[in-house]
Amino acid sequence: MTKSKIVSVDEAVAEIPDGAKVALGGWIFNSQPMALVRALIRKGSRDLHLIPAPGSIAPDMLIGAGCVASTVCVFISFEQFGLAPHFRRQSENGTLKVYDLDGPAIAGGLRAGICDLPYMPVPDLGTDLPKFAPEHYWPLPSKPGERRMLAVAAVKPDVCLLHAQQADEHGNVQHLGPPFFDAMIAQASRRVIVSVDRIVSTDTIRRSNHLTKLPSAMVDAVVEAPFGAHPTASPSLYRSDEAHLKDYVKSSASAETFSAYLDRYVRSASSSAYLDTIGGSRLAALAVSETNLK
Amino acid sequence: MTANPSLGETLAVLLARDIADGEKVIIGTNSDIQLAACNLARRLQAPRLWWISGPGGMVNPTRDHLLSTADYENLESAESWMDLPVMIDFIDWKIHFFDFAILSALQVDRFGNINTVVVGDQRKPRVRGPGTVGISALCGLAKRFYVCLTRHDRSAFVPRVDFLCGAGHMEGGDSRERMGLPPGGPRLVLSPLGVFDFVPDSKAMRVRSISPGVTLEQIRDSTAFDIVVEGMPPVTTMPTDQELALLREHVDRRGDLRRKFP
Repeated sequence: MTKSKIVSVDEAVAEIPDGAKVALGGWIFNSQPMALVRALIRKGSRDLHLIPAPGSIAPDMLIGAGCVASTVCVFISFEQFGLAPHFRRQSENGTLKVYDLDGPAIAGGLRAGICDLPYMPVPDLGTDLPKFAPEHYWPLPSKPGERRMLAVAAVKPDVCLLHAQQADEHGNVQHLGPPFFDAMIAQASRRVIVSVDRIVSTDTIRRSNHLTKLPSAMVDAVVEAPFGAHPTASPSLYRSDEAHLKDYVKSSASAETFSAYLDRYVRSASSSAYLDTIGGSRLAALAVSETNLK
Repeated sequence: MTANPSLGETLAVLLARDIADGEKVIIGTNSDIQLAACNLARRLQAPRLWWISGPGGMVNPTRDHLLSTADYENLESAESWMDLPVMIDFIDWKIHFFDFAILSALQVDRFGNINTVVVGDQRKPRVRGPGTVGISALCGLAKRFYVCLTRHDRSAFVPRVDFLCGAGHMEGGDSRERMGLPPGGPRLVLSPLGVFDFVPDSKAMRVRSISPGVTLEQIRDSTAFDIVVEGMPPVTTMPTDQELALLREHVDRRGDLRRKFP
């Protein structure tokens, strides 16, 4: 019998050293690994190098809390609520190093990482991306008349933080909605930490094994974190909390108001205290139901 | 008598008119106008339009109102969604699979290159945008693309984009082909002031039609490069009562376009 991989959220991030290359899963306002992100901030992480899948509040909050030295940017946005506030401010101040990558470079880079290759070839699309991230893109030789090609560097995170809907104690992780880039990120990462909204039995996993996107051998630690993606959505379980996302953007207007936000929701709060702060009726209203279908 | 169309409604209708039945389309995130254009075209001349929101991999999401394309609720209303790693290969590398993409941008330049990354220097930008995602591949490899901007000023219409993340006609002329990209590039640029296309040989942006009440001087003053004007461009044909009624009753029942883009 495999030893249980279930650990507390603080134990899960305890071994992530300052300066680590940390990948973040999910996709914009879906499945951002927020319980794990809040734990990293509580721990006082510094100088992280982020590799976020197209994201929103997970990379932005880590940047705002001073945990980040550099980030890859494929896409970091607050969509209808505007630009990502801390990502934007620290980029514009020149205090955050940003490696702009396009979809081909992140997908190709992760594939190279998965396949133990130094790079993947991709067609040259004529952009300025190579000029500003020569560490990630360089020209490959081509004969006259052939398509111009670039190498995109392998992307190999030290650790990835993901959020899914359910897992068993052995670390079989199931996505009850789109898995986005999570499986690819997990394969390319040295360590894989996953928070899930609930723990289920291995029998439950077996009954719908087509939902298991990360088999146990790929997963190092599982954290039970109900509403662990809040304020983003956990597909099929709860919707994104738009009021909270708006409040976050508003709180990010000044250092004082953002510090107050972090004190209230992150620094003083364990995961259960966080849910108490958000409030039961608020969380209940987010649970997926036909009556709150937008 | 229908109320006057808002800017967002007008842009959605103008885009919808340019879509042919059976075409395959890709749009990005935060794309209310683009989503409305696709679903309106499906109600009008293009019932077999097949459209996909790239990042979520969702196909033909249909509601009677607009939802953020980044929302799970939109995924719930789609005919299918694809695993992203598979989807990425599909959208990134199939040359001319997509008839067109509809994009917005921080900046567009004289040759229709676009920028969603930064205004100013990438290392210390004046405005830090959301990034490139699939725009490089869509602009490079779709048969054509549209650029839809809700503002028209000298900071958005620039001689050369500060960061080229989606290739238009590059340096003009045949430079796009010389770069090794397949034929294509921007077809139309739409803004509050008018509709713009590109001169066939030089590939320089030109005025195709002007919004009602707008003057050529206004367009010239709001554009930071020499925009081509041939003769007296016509006034843009505004949305008809029928187009607006369909849009408001079946595509945007909650009036998001009116609220967000008045």
